[in-house]
Amino acid sequence: MKTTLRLSGLALSLGFATAALAQQPAPAAPAAAPSWKQGMAVEHEKSTLHPFAPHFTGRPSSELPVAKLKVPDGFKIEVWAEGVPEARSLSLGDKGTVFVSNRNLSSVYAIVDSGGKREVKTLLKGMKAPNGLVFDKGTLYVAERHRITRYDGIEDHLDNAGEGKVVIDNLDPTNQTGHFWKYMVMGPDGKLYFNIGSPQNITMPTYNEAVIVRVDPKTGILENYAQGVRNTVGMAFHPKTKQLWFTDHGRDWLGTDMPSDELNVVKTRGQHFGFPYCHQGDVLDPVYGAGRSCDEFTPPVDKLGAHIAPLGVKFYTGSMFPAQYRNTMLIAQHGSWNRDPKQGYNVIQVSVDAKGKVTKKPFVEGFLENAAGDPPMWGRPVDILQLKDGSVLFSDDYNGIIYRVSYAKK
Amino acid sequence: MIPQSVIRSAALAAAVFTCAGLAASVASAGVEEGRVKAQACVACHGADGNSLAPQIPSIAGQPRQFIEMSLIMFREGRRINEAMKPLVDKLSNADVRDLAQYFAAQKMAPPNRQPTAEVAALGRAITEKNNCVQCHSATLTGQQHIPRLAGQHKDYLLVQLKGFKAGARADFDGTMTSAAQALAPTELDLVADYLATLAAP
Repeated sequence: MKTTLRLSGLALSLGFATAALAQQPAPAAPAAAPSWKQGMAVEHEKSTLHPFAPHFTGRPSSELPVAKLKVPDGFKIEVWAEGVPEARSLSLGDKGTVFVSNRNLSSVYAIVDSGGKREVKTLLKGMKAPNGLVFDKGTLYVAERHRITRYDGIEDHLDNAGEGKVVIDNLDPTNQTGHFWKYMVMGPDGKLYFNIGSPQNITMPTYNEAVIVRVDPKTGILENYAQGVRNTVGMAFHPKTKQLWFTDHGRDWLGTDMPSDELNVVKTRGQHFGFPYCHQGDVLDPVYGAGRSCDEFTPPVDKLGAHIAPLGVKFYTGSMFPAQYRNTMLIAQHGSWNRDPKQGYNVIQVSVDAKGKVTKKPFVEGFLENAAGDPPMWGRPVDILQLKDGSVLFSDDYNGIIYRVSYAKK
Repeated sequence: MIPQSVIRSAALAAAVFTCAGLAASVASAGVEEGRVKAQACVACHGADGNSLAPQIPSIAGQPRQFIEMSLIMFREGRRINEAMKPLVDKLSNADVRDLAQYFAAQKMAPPNRQPTAEVAALGRAITEKNNCVQCHSATLTGQQHIPRLAGQHKDYLLVQLKGFKAGARADFDGTMTSAAQALAPTELDLVADYLATLAAP
């Protein structure tokens, strides 16, 4: 009986697919490439490079080589939470709740301490790529692909978040297939800063694509803030200068060492960071660079490495770590797919001195197992969060794990 | 300075070491858990994941990550199938992992027929020209989140390919919609016919 039911269900779904097919007009033009393959040169057509998908169930740390993770002398690293499938952006509530987002999946989680035990609650479900999270003055803001919503007093409603109030909607009118997820931070001016990514690997964006914008949650008024930003998935305001620093992913299919991903700072509203004309501050795009000069655009503060995929960037302001970490950046590298051999999958410390000299040091290493492997890694760092005690969490979307790095004075 | 490996604590380090040592038996425990949980699946997919019904996919020996992702996408309502829906709604992530581990550990049945020389030649040419082999691997047995096509039922493959071509089939990143739209209906039929005859290497 059950089998019959299932088969009739199957027949129904087949019928649906056939009906959809019947309505389909004859294809007139060759199919468009998926966004990750778009912009390939002819010599790449047989490339076996491909993006990696996360393990959407999450993986238990007991099955992973977590003992291989390395941190500098005096630091220790531990698994802080697991069973948080596709853990992406992190945000901290006033009462200690750690909020965690998804990119491909559709939930927002809240991790709370209940009686000494860490509990992962699914706070919001059925969201559309809810990658961006901000907690500010009791309110959780969530940036989905198409809108930003707010959940006031969220830490008093962790078991029933209710419906969010819309801050701004219609951010993704074309339902774009490229960089549709958003990263979001709260500015010192009380406005929410977030990106709208390039809809393709390499393309001429419209005026409201490949940008960082800001919205005032009180009014819903949207303003352009920076242009020529292909795909930033990490932003932070400097604790002293209050300038916006952000990581940005360079285009694909220009080769193993080209172009570099970027670390940038916005010094003046409206600055243009080069996409799609100029990459890494000094290389014109083979197509869109024609007739342009890199001098027209703001160069990066640093070249972080080709295809290394820098995501979360945070300034360390705590007192637990040694003094040389104060006000320097920690940057999570999601790791490369569009190069061979692979690189990244680390967390690094980046400091910039008064003269602008950049120093990069390893902070967490050990996820990369075999640079020639497919996959080459067993975990991928995404976002960074400083806790009240000065220790630091980072998320790993490949496994749905959150790690904690702390320091003990000797 | 090269950072020095710091392990959480001696006790935890020992625990991790022990777990690593037990990895093999943990894995087979997952297979056993999966075998029990798979009772709801086998009526349609066959006891070892080799389904006999041509519309129902063979899931024996599919990559574990692909099975996990498929079940999650069904549960999320992103891939729609009325027969799968009531079954996946109840699954926890641990259930999904166990089921995937069980079916990934099963051996796919050899195909029950050989391709004609013409189908073999034309089919192989399509899989190379259209880059099927780039993602699904040279042997078309899949990898990571990408499914095995070799030895899959023709009828099932054809429904999926037509669904992709029509833009009606759930597609994780647009790759398959793009790939299927580049093929004429006769080519879809031919490549499905060819794939169904491929054995595991």
